[in-house]
Amino acid sequence: MALVSADSRIAELLTELHQLIKQTQEERSRSEHNLVNIQKTHERMQTENKISPYYRTKLRGLYTTAKADAEAECNILRKALDKIAEIKSLLEERRIAAKIAGLYNDSEPPRKTMRRGVLMTLLQQSAMTLPLWIGKPGDKPPPLCGAIPASGDYVARPGDKVAARVKAVDGDEQWILAEVVSYSHATNKRHTLSRRRVIPLPQWKANPETDPEALFQKEQLVLALYPQTTCFYRALIHAPPQRPQDDYSVLFEDTSYADGYSPPLNVAQRYVVACKEPKKK
Amino acid sequence: MSELKDCPLQFHDFKSVDHLKVCPRYTAVLARSEDDGIGIEELDTLQLELETLLSSASRRLRVLEAETQILTDWQDKKGDRRFLKLGRDHELGAPPKHGKPKKQKLEGKAGHGPGPGPGRPKSKNLQPKIQEYEFTDDPIDVPRIPKNDAPNRFWASVEPYCADITSEEVRTLEELLKPPEDEAEHYKIPPLGKHYSQRWAQEDLLEEQKDGARAAAVADKKKGLMGPLTELDTKDVDALLKKSEAQHEQPEDGCPFGALTQRLLQALVENKPFSVPHTKSLESRIKEELIAQGLLESEDRPAEDSEDEVLAELRKRQAELKALSAHNRTKKHDLLRLAKEEVSRQELRQRVRMADNEVMDAFRKIMAARQKKRTPTKKEKDQAWKTLKERESILKLLDG
Repeated sequence: MALVSADSRIAELLTELHQLIKQTQEERSRSEHNLVNIQKTHERMQTENKISPYYRTKLRGLYTTAKADAEAECNILRKALDKIAEIKSLLEERRIAAKIAGLYNDSEPPRKTMRRGVLMTLLQQSAMTLPLWIGKPGDKPPPLCGAIPASGDYVARPGDKVAARVKAVDGDEQWILAEVVSYSHATNKRHTLSRRRVIPLPQWKANPETDPEALFQKEQLVLALYPQTTCFYRALIHAPPQRPQDDYSVLFEDTSYADGYSPPLNVAQRYVVACKEPKKK
Repeated sequence: MSELKDCPLQFHDFKSVDHLKVCPRYTAVLARSEDDGIGIEELDTLQLELETLLSSASRRLRVLEAETQILTDWQDKKGDRRFLKLGRDHELGAPPKHGKPKKQKLEGKAGHGPGPGPGRPKSKNLQPKIQEYEFTDDPIDVPRIPKNDAPNRFWASVEPYCADITSEEVRTLEELLKPPEDEAEHYKIPPLGKHYSQRWAQEDLLEEQKDGARAAAVADKKKGLMGPLTELDTKDVDALLKKSEAQHEQPEDGCPFGALTQRLLQALVENKPFSVPHTKSLESRIKEELIAQGLLESEDRPAEDSEDEVLAELRKRQAELKALSAHNRTKKHDLLRLAKEEVSRQELRQRVRMADNEVMDAFRKIMAARQKKRTPTKKEKDQAWKTLKERESILKLLDG
């Protein structure tokens, strides 16, 4: 029953999303006209090589209208993105409910029997679809956006991905990718960890164009997920991402290489966290 | 008209994202009708595309805001009234559906737009000043409201007069009342010393002696005949002088009797054949007898007073001092008495205050009881009455 209602709700939301997207495009085409005007005015001003008060006023008016349009567009886009997030969370709930109910969705086999390739694809997708933080002018990136650490009293919710330090069978400690089942309870691998040993992964990507301060900088020491694995290792940032969809380029600490570091490897923003370990393992 | 190179604007290229190229999924969705809808699997790509659009739109917004700000500042700097007004109209006429940052910006601009607007002075120079004034006034204004402390100063100055009397002050008063030790000294009349004429005569004589002695010593040094002359000392000089005085006091030749004795004898005895020893003492004894009988008034004081101005003055001053001291003493006594009374009244007032508090407490209890919609207990009522009566009795004491 629950699944059916979830399905219909999802369908509803999808329709709403469709509408929002159409609205967005209307808005955008409307503002297109104004932007073209601005462009023309710019050109004229540049060719005439003087700025008359008339032009200044006109430009001001055009800018103001363009501002209003841009804001409206932003609002609709945000609504659309929120809608997508809503749908996604509903899907996630549905997945968990299905797992508990014992039904297996074909596209999402239970973890225990997941093949490595599938897992990797999942991880990659999760990294890609990490929501991008686009703040309004004057907004600061929140905690757990990019490199901004979590606030001191942050409690990871069930379903959050974290980097966790666990003891392997042979006594070694490793940082692994984990999902919180419940706070202070065991993860899938039946580890009970204190809060210190768990670092929540970022919940938003930082936009390099608007919030570069929320990104890790070059030469910063971080814990990064080694590609095609689920373990975090110490690494140095080689280059931060240029565009919102880009990855960090990092150098992993690797004694098997001459200079102690691997060649630059790409790691998504989602899988790069601040390193708190004082000494080398 | 200013040159292009003066223009601070940057003429950004405000082209919107070409969604046909960059956002294919988005475009595809747009093309579909509502019946076809969106598939769940398309959500991720859609999300990415929408994020791209949003990011470019907000970037555009930021740039636009920056440019308009530059434009506004530039225009304000030029102080061009006409276009400020026009600019203001544009802003206020802008469409109402604004998000929060936009609204704040508008208010900020409208704030210093109408500032120079109404009551605009004719000269251009005042305008930027007025705008500056408005900007800087607000943060400074609030803490600058001067506190009116004239009443505080007044009460501070009056306080010593109205404060309670402490026991220390009473003690100080009592100490003040103790008569000063040196009072007796002020009333002494020093005895008449030697009259200055006598003293000077004595001193002159001494001087002459010394000179003579020195001269004789110089002359008779070898012979050593200085003895008798140098051994003359003051006592002898005094004796000499007294003898000469005594002789002066008796102008009549041969008559050894004093004035009074003479008159008496003249009256009582016809001839004066005999001489009486101790004429001097006889004179003074007769004088005394006559005064005792009341026939003769004592001549001492008036004679002395009329001749001795210094004494007169001294006596006058002493009388003044006495009167003043007596006056001061009475006043101090009064003050001490009043202070003691006031201290007792203060204590009573303190008790009244405490009684007031008790009455207020009882009142509050009764009000609370009434609020809770129950009648106050007998205990509370009794207590209230008791405190009231206490207070009244203390007040009666105070007023009585």
